[in-house]
Amino acid sequence: MSGSKPDILWAPHHVDRFVVCDSELSLYHIDSAVSSELKAGSLRLSEETTATLLSINSDTPYMKCVAWYPKYDPECLLAVGQANGRVVLTSLGQDHNSKSKDLIGKEFVPKHARQCNTLAWNPLDSNWLAAGLDKHRADFSVLIWDISSKYAPETAVATEKVRLSAGDAEAGLVVTKPLYELGQNDACLSLCWLPRDQKLLLAGMHRNLAIFDLRNTSQKIFVNTKAVQGVTVDPYFHDRVASFYEGQVAIWDLRKFEKPVLTLTEQPKPLTKVAWCPTRTGLLATLTRDSNIIRLYDMQHTPTPIGDETEPTIIERSVQPCENYIASFAWHPTSQNRMVVVTPNRTMSDFTVFERISLAWSPVTSLMWACGRHLYECTEEGKASSLEKDIATKMRLRALSRYGLDTEQVWRNHLLAGNEDPQLKSLWYTLHFMKQYTEDMDQKLTGNKGPLVYAGIKSIVKSSLGTTENLRHSRSGSDRQADIIQYLSEERSLALQLCGWIKKGTDLDVEPFLNSLEQEGDWERAAAVALFNLDIRRAIQILNKGASSGKGDLNLNVVAMALSGYTDEKNSLWREMCSTLRLQLNNPYLCAMFAFLTSESGSYDGVLYENNVAVRDRVAFACKFLNDAQLNRFIEKLTNEMKEAGNLEGILLTGLTKDGVDLMESYVDRTGDVQTASYCMLQGSPSDVLKDERVQYWIENYRNLLDAWRFWHKRAEFDIHRSKLDPSSKPLAQVFVSCNFCGKSISYSCSAIPHQGRGFSQYGVSGSPTKSKVTSCPGCRKPLPRCALCLINMGTPVSSCPGGSKSDEKVDLSKDKKLAQFNNWFTWCHNCRHGGHAGHMLSWFRDHTECPVSACSCKCMQLDTTGNLVPAETVQA
Amino acid sequence: MELHILEHRLRVASIAKESIQLFTYGLIKLAFLSSKTRCKFFSLTETPEDYTIIVDEEGFLELPSSEHLSVADATWLALNVVSGGGGFSSSQPIGVTKIAKSVIAPLADQNISVFMLSTYQTDFILVRERDLPFVMHTLAAEFTILRVVNGETVAADDFGVTNGFVKPKLVQRPVIHPLSSPSNMFCVTSLDPDTLPTVATLLMDVMFYSNGVKDSVVGNEDSGHIRFFSFSLIEGYISLVMDVQTQQRFPNNLLFTSASGELWKMVRIGGQPLGFDECGIVAQISEPLAAADIPAYYISTFKFDHALVPEENINGVVNALQVSQAEKH
Repeated sequence: MSGSKPDILWAPHHVDRFVVCDSELSLYHIDSAVSSELKAGSLRLSEETTATLLSINSDTPYMKCVAWYPKYDPECLLAVGQANGRVVLTSLGQDHNSKSKDLIGKEFVPKHARQCNTLAWNPLDSNWLAAGLDKHRADFSVLIWDISSKYAPETAVATEKVRLSAGDAEAGLVVTKPLYELGQNDACLSLCWLPRDQKLLLAGMHRNLAIFDLRNTSQKIFVNTKAVQGVTVDPYFHDRVASFYEGQVAIWDLRKFEKPVLTLTEQPKPLTKVAWCPTRTGLLATLTRDSNIIRLYDMQHTPTPIGDETEPTIIERSVQPCENYIASFAWHPTSQNRMVVVTPNRTMSDFTVFERISLAWSPVTSLMWACGRHLYECTEEGKASSLEKDIATKMRLRALSRYGLDTEQVWRNHLLAGNEDPQLKSLWYTLHFMKQYTEDMDQKLTGNKGPLVYAGIKSIVKSSLGTTENLRHSRSGSDRQADIIQYLSEERSLALQLCGWIKKGTDLDVEPFLNSLEQEGDWERAAAVALFNLDIRRAIQILNKGASSGKGDLNLNVVAMALSGYTDEKNSLWREMCSTLRLQLNNPYLCAMFAFLTSESGSYDGVLYENNVAVRDRVAFACKFLNDAQLNRFIEKLTNEMKEAGNLEGILLTGLTKDGVDLMESYVDRTGDVQTASYCMLQGSPSDVLKDERVQYWIENYRNLLDAWRFWHKRAEFDIHRSKLDPSSKPLAQVFVSCNFCGKSISYSCSAIPHQGRGFSQYGVSGSPTKSKVTSCPGCRKPLPRCALCLINMGTPVSSCPGGSKSDEKVDLSKDKKLAQFNNWFTWCHNCRHGGHAGHMLSWFRDHTECPVSACSCKCMQLDTTGNLVPAETVQA
Repeated sequence: MELHILEHRLRVASIAKESIQLFTYGLIKLAFLSSKTRCKFFSLTETPEDYTIIVDEEGFLELPSSEHLSVADATWLALNVVSGGGGFSSSQPIGVTKIAKSVIAPLADQNISVFMLSTYQTDFILVRERDLPFVMHTLAAEFTILRVVNGETVAADDFGVTNGFVKPKLVQRPVIHPLSSPSNMFCVTSLDPDTLPTVATLLMDVMFYSNGVKDSVVGNEDSGHIRFFSFSLIEGYISLVMDVQTQQRFPNNLLFTSASGELWKMVRIGGQPLGFDECGIVAQISEPLAAADIPAYYISTFKFDHALVPEENINGVVNALQVSQAEKH
């Protein structure tokens, strides 16, 4: 502040005022600038604020430091420390109250003149003003003045010697006797009162930081350090103190005062000011000489030093409020993160340090971000449908509808998934047929095609090479022989089964399939399948039926008509027209039908590459009409296409093999649907695919997803489902309840093999072979601990009264089996080690916070951070 | 009590009065442009005989080597007594008297030569660097000894010198050298380093052109008046010792003065130049003062020593010291 360098102070209570001090004190009033025009005499500080000069005080020359009276009244009382060590109380503006009149002009004079480096008002007793002075050989450097003290008569005796200007002495405004004198033969460079106690003062002395306790001035706590400048206490964490030396800031913890808790990265230029933000915890602003930036250190995450080793994390940022060098800055006392900076030529700038933004996605689709003390929730504007289309939303709904868990009627899973995705439908039907076939095989014990089924049609077809027999067939309903060759083999009929065209065995009857298609109203497809089975009549019949059905399409009659005109004549007009006009048909099946009728024998590209025809129909068609070489080529090509596209219909071809995992990988890449991927791959067990790390990755991700959604019960269901299909995934028991006496697991006797529960030792009563001794340890026969609530030994069921009969238990278990089992579980507090039946504990802690044991005041439930979380399923229900 | 061994390595030199113009460039730089040098410890004392310079090695480089510059052949270290962290009783006598018993007398007993420099802020006891182990051993019982390293105080290593130390017998230390007391009254003062530029020309005039002034202003006063002026700039702190006549040339309110406006009179010690090897001179003077609880400043120069005592005590002091002197004979 020496002449050229202005400093700036906010009024502690009148938050629209601040003072700039260099050679004089200038009081400004800050206004919000409503209009873009400036009022006469006001300065623009920012886009929103202007400052007006209210008054100037140039009564106090040689100012070295200034401190604003901390109380609300008198408003503009300032203490000014001068180069000769005098402290003068002065005021700005007009305060006409009697209290301030007595105070203004009062001077506090040290015995020996030297520079006053720092001033600090006591925050608790505002009459106390501490002044830190330079060194004098025989004098004290920390003087605590009582501003209310009168010109005491005892010091008046000394006045004869005091060569002060006569005016001062007469006015009785000079005080020469401080309340306390500290730090003899030392220099004090910075001071701050500790908020912990009115009588604790922290001072940066010549080569050490010292804490003076005014209750016992002969004692002080001190630590030798160079960092003695600008001591300042964190307003939010009273044991944390910052000080600096040249370019380095040291952060101290007063509870562990031997050395700095941490030092901030050293700046190349010496620091001039360091200040904690009064409106935000753990934010320290620093300024160096000749710099136009203010550096901010965010110590939000380091409230306490944890140990010597852990280096706390600090986030360093810098702000540049203006182009010029900054002379000084001051945080606004109440407005969050706001500060005013002043440059050496006294231009000022008012700005708010922008808070770092932290962002969080919830496991469901909402997005939150925090800025300062505000929390924002973002919602997507526009249609809700985009949210519904999101795969996460779909997976959540599907998880709630138990998607993937129907292991009996596997095809039903696509209904659980919402019956809207043809690929899922195809997938689950494929898996259904595979499972069905495997079960048939198991029953009949014939052949060894079982494993082959899950390997997909691609492998089946490959294995069928050379076993095919040809069949010449005419299209029934037509009068002439046709040159249509059909191929048959055991493998091909297996493939047809997987495609769903025929039922089990070698029975080639497609009639049941046609009937089911008719029921679903899928007329075109039914007609096409009938035609591909060379039954034109049946096809026409289906089309007629379709046209006449309730919401049928009358065009189907036209198609039937066209179909009935079929002729074998190669050059007929019918053929010509059909082959050109069929492309205008919208329905792919109708289109494929005419392609089939007009094609040459053995080249059915019009059908096979009609991409809108379901893969299973095209594959079935291929199995019927392509020879081995063609079939192989076609399947190979189609498989690769499906893999590329990640089309789940392709699972039919790849099965649950490595190819299938490849296909699923591109499906997951495309959709993110780990749920379907997990369930689908589990279906193929036991198989090598489950060992594929991609599959394990999907499964783990799906489990994490369920956990993140707080679908813990769904996660558990999934784990159970998984362990049924893949026994190797069962985790080993990780937690045991051990006996207090012998230390053995009390669940040991429950099952001969090591316990395989889901992590918890489940020690239910029911079904235990050692039922009569459930209340004692199976290892040493000593009694189990008693439940703190019912005082009955653990091992007895919750609901039964002592000595309850077997039948009681049975009734209980049948009533609410799962709940009763959990209620019987052991549970205990890890802190006080009291516990009992889970059911009892749960009901106790619904109404209590303290442990049920009478002398124990442990707040068990509050210690359990997850204890108050509720699974999301129950919230939704 | 703590004894700080400062990190400055000091040289003590003397410039003949008539050769001062050879050195003014360097001296002005050391005194007024401290930011342009790496010097942290500089003291210039003018006596009727010479200019005595105490300066650290960094500052010494600023001075040209010349036959007119006599340099004492040792490197000196400055010791500083600080009340430190321990309990401090507020009844300590001021200045040299405070440390007379605890530092100066024990060193004198061990025949360790000291060189004193009192300033407005504190007292420095200069000892030869080679004597440091003995100094530390001698004072270890009384003080917590700390070394300043890179501005930070650290516990000093014990040099482990224990051999050859005999408990000295306590002897009376009569004043050996002749004393004189000039008639000027002195003040010890300081000023804000920020205001130094405003009085720089005045200070230069006082420091380097005193001869002319003396002739015109002081010449007609009594012969007991001597020329004595001391300026020091040590670790950023300025200390000035000047007589009242010189002080009046400075603007009002610029110099730091004590509230009581105390003035001091001088006792000059030595008829012949004292040299650097004789021990116990400071002790001879300071012990009687300490016994009488009289505060004092003590400034050693290249040739003689100077003690400043409060004006009201000067007669008592001179008498006491002369009694001590008489005891010798």
